[in-house]
Amino acid sequence: MNKIKVEILFPEFCNLYGDIFNMKYLQKCLLDAEFINTSFQKIPRFVEEDITLIYMGPMTENMQEKVIDKLTPYTKKLKELINNGTIMLFTGNSMEILGEYIEKEDGSKITGLSIIPINAKRDMMNRFNCLFLGERKSYEIVGFKSQFTMCYGNNENNYFAKSKKGIGLNRNSKFEGYEENNFIGTYLLGPILILNPEFTKEILIKMGVQEPKLALEDDVIQAYKQRLGEFNSI
Amino acid sequence: MGRIKYVIALILARLAIIVLKLIRRDASYFPGKIAVTICPDFLGRIGKPEIIIGVTGTNGKTTVCNMINDILIENGYDVINNRLGSNVNSGIATTFISGATITGKSKHKIAVLEIDERSAKKIYPYVKPNFLVCTNLFRDSMKRNAHTEFIYNILTENIPKETMLILNGDDLISANLAPENKRVYFGIDRLDTDTEESHNIVKDIICCPKCNTELKYDYYRYNHIGKAHCPNCEFGTPEIDYLATKLDFEEKKLIINEKGQVQEYKMISDNIINIYNMIAVVTVLREFGISSAILKNSFERMKIVETRFEEETINNIKIIMQLAKGQNPIACSRAFEYVSKIKGNKVVIILLDDLHDATNSSECIAWLYDTDYEFLNNDSIKQIIVGGVRCIDEKIRLELAGIEENKIYCSKDEIEAVKQIELEKIDSVCILYDLYSMKLKEKIKKQVENIIEGNENSNE
Repeated sequence: MNKIKVEILFPEFCNLYGDIFNMKYLQKCLLDAEFINTSFQKIPRFVEEDITLIYMGPMTENMQEKVIDKLTPYTKKLKELINNGTIMLFTGNSMEILGEYIEKEDGSKITGLSIIPINAKRDMMNRFNCLFLGERKSYEIVGFKSQFTMCYGNNENNYFAKSKKGIGLNRNSKFEGYEENNFIGTYLLGPILILNPEFTKEILIKMGVQEPKLALEDDVIQAYKQRLGEFNSI
Repeated sequence: MGRIKYVIALILARLAIIVLKLIRRDASYFPGKIAVTICPDFLGRIGKPEIIIGVTGTNGKTTVCNMINDILIENGYDVINNRLGSNVNSGIATTFISGATITGKSKHKIAVLEIDERSAKKIYPYVKPNFLVCTNLFRDSMKRNAHTEFIYNILTENIPKETMLILNGDDLISANLAPENKRVYFGIDRLDTDTEESHNIVKDIICCPKCNTELKYDYYRYNHIGKAHCPNCEFGTPEIDYLATKLDFEEKKLIINEKGQVQEYKMISDNIINIYNMIAVVTVLREFGISSAILKNSFERMKIVETRFEEETINNIKIIMQLAKGQNPIACSRAFEYVSKIKGNKVVIILLDDLHDATNSSECIAWLYDTDYEFLNNDSIKQIIVGGVRCIDEKIRLELAGIEENKIYCSKDEIEAVKQIELEKIDSVCILYDLYSMKLKEKIKKQVENIIEGNENSNE
């Protein structure tokens, strides 16, 4: 098996809400893997070399525009990687970068990379918060949403999780996030890999780990079960 | 029509104050809420004192306001404040109503107002502070405040043009608020404890906001507090007008260079956050016109209010209670670093659950991962006790900070958790608590006192 390489895009900026611990935790689960922190000034490593997983976390609205500019020259490459099955995990509003556009309150639009068929609409004075409980494959996903945007687009056949509690892409949607091949985009924030041991194992298996063993597995599973109980009872 | 709405709002709000007081309920928010609901521009119409001193910012607002109030009142100034009330528009409306005559004219000369950053849009169009202190801008509650860029924009778009700003020059985010306004900076000169590398997870300004070049930090104090400059343009730490040049922790003295005049004050706390708060107070009150001599006298008698910090010694073991503010990663990180540096061996008790979520929901724990639990990975901390519903989540976070599992004890029942305390060779027990868990804090404090006095079992 080739060495596992994980590229974290622009961690100095795309690091709101503790999301960067998704990668710190993954690193504890993958002690032999190479983790690459690609700063904003650098050319992403996925352009020139094989990367097992590309990760990008949430960022400020101003930064979204800069990241779109930064990644625009690599649009074709990103599309190719998604088509080829490279694993990607984009959390929070980072998924919007790959969408068609982000509409501001004044109606103006920021053009995205148009790799995935979604668009987002901002409402900066009304932040939306909710807990999320959803079904994914044979297990459940727990998490939190906190966002200025609502997202639109048909993801009925390409969702990350189907909502049991909390909203999907928008208030009228039951389908959360976007999944295509091994690309997963989700508005869930914070340390979702720590919160969701089953999902983390799924990611590890995708990455080629035969029998994944999680870091702090007993505690993480105990916390997951407790949270599932709480979310189901709310 | 506007005038009629205003009169109705004033009458009903006044009635609400009377009724709430009669039934002994909190009258600091609801009357103002009635007023601004009936008359949306109520804050613009109600009489206001001639001088308004506002205090905003992520951390330290309440402490700074309390100090300003105490000094002004002690020195005979006629002040109203929202000390006991809410810091959003409704609370401020209630404050003005309470301080006004029956016809709505202000009875006071000065208002000292704690002002919520997020409420800027609803307050500053009507309330124009003569002086506005911004203590700092940091990452705060994710659900409400999102990120510093969002709060910076709200403040910059709404702070009145005529307001004189009192800004923390060591904080490159808040130092650049409302760039057109007149401003005075406060700060602290380089300290021995400052570092060339950052030791925090969160740094909310990394690149120059003017040209996007990566900032060069001459030194970090904590998070993005420190001294930095852009290698490509003129952006950087400003020249500080009120600069603390010496912090003497042994003698508890603070030397401040006030625009060239050197003054010595009693240091009222050895916590760097409170030292910043104190310098902010000196700066705004000096600019307001109070002499250094008066300030010096007032600081000699001042103590940080006990809801934020308390210390006592029983049987040679110190009990230190420090407010940490759950869901506020910077406040918690500062508290963690503070207790980690207390001399001697320590037990740390963490009580940071959001009590509302613990009862009605399930707390979002993202903030744990913006918080530097790594400071608690320290040989002098012999045991960490975590109490509350989220204790397993915190245990995981502590373990990811590299803390050995056998040092951590956690229980959903806080009282049971504290019974596991091991006091052998311990010099201090540090209790870190949330703003909304005062009753719990008192219970835990009592429990710890009893254990130290031998009236109750511990795990010793």
